[in-house]
Amino acid sequence: MKFTFNWLKEFVGLRASPQKIAEALTMAGLEVESLVPLDPGYATRHPGERDWLMEVNVTPNRGDCLGILGIAREVTVLTGGRLKPPRVDPHTGDASARRAVDVRIASPRLCPRYSARVVHGIRVARSPSWMQSRLEACGVRPVNNVVDVTNWVMLETGQPLHAFDLERLSSKRIVVQRAGAIKKFVTLDGIERELEPEDLLICDGEVPIALAGIMGGRDSEVRPETGSLLLESANFDPLTIRRTAKRLALHSEASHRFERGVDPEGTLYALDRAVWLLKEIASGSPLGGVADRYARRRKSAALWLRHQRVKALLGIELASGEVEKITRALGLKIRRRSKTGLQVIPPSYRPDLAREADVIEELARVHGYDKMPATLPLVRAAGGMADGHLRRERAMRSFLAGEGLTEMIHLPFTSREMNRRFPGLWRGPRPAVEVLNPLTQENAEMRLSLIPGLVESLRAQVSQKSKGFYGFDLGKVFSLGFTGAPEERQCLAGAIFGYRERRGLRVKEQSPAAFLDIKGLVEGILELVGVAPQVIWTGESLPPILHPGKGASLEIAGSRVGCLGELHPDLCEELRLPSFFIFEVDFEKLLQYAPREFKVRSLRRFPSVERDLAVVLDDGFPAQRLVNWIKEQFNHSLIEEVQVFDEYKGAPVPQGKKSLAYTISYRAEDRTLTDTEVNALHGELVSRIGQVFGAQLRE
Amino acid sequence: MAESLETLREEVLDRIARCATEPEIEDLRVEYLGRKGRLTLLLRGLKDLPPEERPQAGERLNQLRRLAEEKLAARLAQVKAREKERILREETVDITLPGSRWERGRMHPLTLVMDEIIDVFLGMGFEVARGPDIEDDYHNFEALNMPKDHPARDMQDTFFVSQDRLLRTHTSPVQIRVMESRRPPLQIIAPGAVYRHDDDATHSPMFHQVEGFMVDGHISFADLKGVLTHFIRRIFRPETKLRFRPSFFPFTEPSAEIDMQCVLCGGEGGKREGSACRVCKGSGWLEILGAGMIDPQVFKFVGYDPERVSGFAFGMGVERIAMLKFGIEDIRLFFQNDLRFLRQFV
Ligand SMILES: [Zn+2]
Repeated sequence: MKFTFNWLKEFVGLRASPQKIAEALTMAGLEVESLVPLDPGYATRHPGERDWLMEVNVTPNRGDCLGILGIAREVTVLTGGRLKPPRVDPHTGDASARRAVDVRIASPRLCPRYSARVVHGIRVARSPSWMQSRLEACGVRPVNNVVDVTNWVMLETGQPLHAFDLERLSSKRIVVQRAGAIKKFVTLDGIERELEPEDLLICDGEVPIALAGIMGGRDSEVRPETGSLLLESANFDPLTIRRTAKRLALHSEASHRFERGVDPEGTLYALDRAVWLLKEIASGSPLGGVADRYARRRKSAALWLRHQRVKALLGIELASGEVEKITRALGLKIRRRSKTGLQVIPPSYRPDLAREADVIEELARVHGYDKMPATLPLVRAAGGMADGHLRRERAMRSFLAGEGLTEMIHLPFTSREMNRRFPGLWRGPRPAVEVLNPLTQENAEMRLSLIPGLVESLRAQVSQKSKGFYGFDLGKVFSLGFTGAPEERQCLAGAIFGYRERRGLRVKEQSPAAFLDIKGLVEGILELVGVAPQVIWTGESLPPILHPGKGASLEIAGSRVGCLGELHPDLCEELRLPSFFIFEVDFEKLLQYAPREFKVRSLRRFPSVERDLAVVLDDGFPAQRLVNWIKEQFNHSLIEEVQVFDEYKGAPVPQGKKSLAYTISYRAEDRTLTDTEVNALHGELVSRIGQVFGAQLRE
Repeated sequence: MAESLETLREEVLDRIARCATEPEIEDLRVEYLGRKGRLTLLLRGLKDLPPEERPQAGERLNQLRRLAEEKLAARLAQVKAREKERILREETVDITLPGSRWERGRMHPLTLVMDEIIDVFLGMGFEVARGPDIEDDYHNFEALNMPKDHPARDMQDTFFVSQDRLLRTHTSPVQIRVMESRRPPLQIIAPGAVYRHDDDATHSPMFHQVEGFMVDGHISFADLKGVLTHFIRRIFRPETKLRFRPSFFPFTEPSAEIDMQCVLCGGEGGKREGSACRVCKGSGWLEILGAGMIDPQVFKFVGYDPERVSGFAFGMGVERIAMLKFGIEDIRLFFQNDLRFLRQFV
C-alpha cells in the first residue's frame, strides 16, 4: 500500500515527522517498507510542499489498512490524534437514484451489499495535475477525471469503485449474479475472458457489464463522450473474487482489496466522497439519492476478553484502564464489564477480530511488543539430547570430511533424463515424483538418486581444469510407491575422481582415485554405523550404472542397501566425463540395522605371532575366498586373523595368474606361542592350501 | 725434582686445555698416563729414589696423575658435548618449508550453521523432530489455519507434485505432526529443507528452516521473547540488540517478526557514511525470525484444548543466518557447490 505522507495528514491531525510515524507504524505491525522524499518533479507540481512516499506492507489480515483512512485510524490509535475524514457530498434519502436504476442481488452470499449513485452532466477530461501527480506517485496510472476519481477514492477509503457509462446500460436494471450460462466476457482491457458458472458478474439486465470486484467491461466503460455515470460501490465475497482472479490471472487493485475483506459499512461514504470529487473536477451534477441493496448484514459478534487470559498469553498484567483505552481506541465497543473481563464488539472494518486471541494480539500490538518482559520458561519436557540419528549424521560428515570429501548440498530437482540414467537404490524400477509446476524442464522431477547432483558438481569442477574431485551429499531422494504415494529416504552418496589434494612438498608417486579407495570409504561408513559385519558384498547383479567389473552391491538381510564402483564407461562417455567412482548407500536403512550398544572385548594377554604367505592363483580368484576358507574350513583355534596385504600381476608371475599375499596372526589365549609350534601349524596351512586350491607357493 | 714436576704439571694442563677432539684427548692420555706414559714411567722410577724422598715424591706424582685424569675426563666431556651440539646443528631442518598432509574435506556452511542452531536449542532442553519434505495440503496449510483460497497462501508460492501433495513451503507442518502424536509438555525443533517457487539472488527454490515450538500449561509471549533473545545472542553477539514487531501468520496469534541490529553497520543504517548500508538497506535492522503464540485454531486441529495449553512457535531461515554470519550476498552459492566457495569454511 503506497500513499504520500501529506495525503495521510489530510485524514489525521499530525505533528510528528514522517520518520516518527513510519517507526510507530512499523512497530505496530504495519511495516513501512520504504519512506522516500518525492522527487523534485513532483514538488514543482505542488509548489512549496515537501512530501514523502510511504510504502506499507499490509499483512493479509489487515484489509482495512488498504486505504489511507485505515492507516489514519491506526495512527490515531498510536498517537492519540484525531481522525478528520475528508469532505463528501452526502446522499439524501430520496428515490431519485432508485428510479434511475434498479438494483437486484441474485446471490446475497456473494454480494452482501451493492450501493450506487447517479451523476449527470459529466465532462470527461484529464484530471487536474495535483490529482495526476499524486496518483502517479502512488503507482496508479492517470486515465481521465472519472476513472482517476474512482482510483483516488479507493486509495483513500480502501473501497473499490467502478464507474459505468449510464447511457450505455440499455435496461438500467443492475443484477448481481453468477455467470451461470454466460460463457464469455470482454473486460475493459479488450481481452475476452472465459467464464466459469461460479464467477460473479454485474449485469445490465441479461448483459454482463463487469466481472464483479475484478474488472469492468469494455462496452460500458467511460469514454470521452460519456455524460452520465452509474457509480458502483459494492461488497463482494472474498473467496469468490479470489478464485476468479486467480483462475484468470487477473490481479487488480480492486480484487486485491476484496480478497482481503472490505468493510460493507463503508460503501456509502466512498460513494459520497467520489461524488464530491466529481462535482469538483468533472462538473458532475449528482442525483441526491442512492440505490443501496444491503442483502446480508454481517453482525460483529460480541466476545469476552478475560483478564486472566490476557495475562496467561502475554505474560504481563495490563492495567484494566489501559485495556479499556486500547480497545476503545481501536474502535471496539465495550458492552459489559465484569470482575473477570470485558465484553466487547469489534467494529465492522475489523473482521479479523473474531476471537478473544485476536483482541489480545491487538492489546499486545498497541501496548508495544518491546515493552513486554522477556522470561525464560521453566523446562518440563525431557528433551535436550541429540538423538541417534543426528549423532550419526554428524559422525558421518566428520568422517567423510576427514577423508578428504567435501560436503555438498544439491537442489533435489533433476531432469527426466538424469532420473532415467540414475534410478537410485529403489527396489525395482520406480517412477519419479514429478513436479507439476517446475521452474524449468531440467528441474521437472524429484531426484531418485543423489548421484545426478554430484555428477553436475563434478562436471563443473572438471571444467575448471581441476585434477581431482572428492565430494559427498547426505540428502533425501524421492519416488512414487506402489500405491502412488510419494516416498522419501535419506541417502548418502559420494563421488571421487583424480588426485586427492595434498599439502606440502610434492609426493613422487601419488595415484588417482581407484576402486579400492571408494571401497575403503564405504567400509569406513559401514564401520562407523556399526553394520560392517552384517553387510554382504557382491559383484553379481550390479546396477547398470556401474562398470561390470569394477563395482559391488551391498546387501543386508537380502535387501540392497548400497552400491559402489566405477561409473560405467558408456555412461561416462554419454555424460562426456572422465572415469570416476561413486558410492550411494541408503542411510536410513543402515541406521535401522545399527546395533544399539556394544561391549568391549578383554585385552589379549599373550603376544601374537605373524606369518606371511604368498600364493599364485588364477587371475579371477577372489582374494577373500582364501580368507573365508582359512577361517571357516581350516578353522584352527590358534588362527586369530587373516588379512590380504598384496595383489601382484606380471613377471615373474605367469600370464593369467596373480600372486596374493596374506598375513596370518596366530595367538593362544593362555600362553606365548613358540616358533616351533607356529611353524608347524603354518606349514600345515600352507600345504593344505596347496592341495585344496592347487596354489603355488611363492617366496 | 720438585721444580721439574711443576713444569710438567703446567705442560700437562696446558696441553689438555688445547685438545679439541676426542682422539687428541685419547692420544694425550696415552702419552702421559698410558703404560709407557710419561707420568707412569715417573711413578715407576720412584723406586730408584732414595727412600727418604720416596713418600713425598710419590705423593706429589700421584696428585699430578689424579689431576691429569680429572682434567682429561672433564675435557673429554666438554669436547663430546660440543661435538653433539655441532651434529645437532647440522641436522636442523628448514621450518619454513610447508607441512605435509592430505587436504581435508569440508562440511557445508549450511551444516555448520544448522549444527550451531541445533546445539543452542539442545542446550535449552529442546529435542529434534523431523518430517517429510513432500507434505499434504492438510499439514502444510489447512491445519496451520490456512484454508484453501486463503490470501496468506500467496505469501508462499508452492511446488505441487499432485492435486493434494506439495513440497512443504515451511517446516511448520512438523509442528502439526508432532502435536498430533504427542501430548504436552513439548519443546521441539524441526530442522529441514523447504521449497518455494522462486529463483533469484535472494531466493532459492530450496532452502532450509528451523521450526521450533514449546507447548505447556502456561507458556506466554514473554517466554517467547526470552527464548528467542537468548538464541539470537548465542548465534550472533551477546550484546546484539533485538526488536519484536507485530506481524501476521495465520497459525500464530499474536504474531511477531524479530529484527536484530544490522551485522554490518551495527544499526546505524550507514547514515554516517552517507549512503544506505547495503545489508540492511539503511534501516539498521535485519529480519531474522518469525514467531508467535500458537493460534487456538491450530490447537483445535490437533485436538488440544486451547483453554488448557498455550505455546509459542517460531521459524527461521538457515541460509539467511548463514548469509549474515559469513557476509554471503547470493543465496545460490550454497547450492552451486563450487569448491572455491566451500573450501573457505574451515
Ligand atoms: Zn546495516
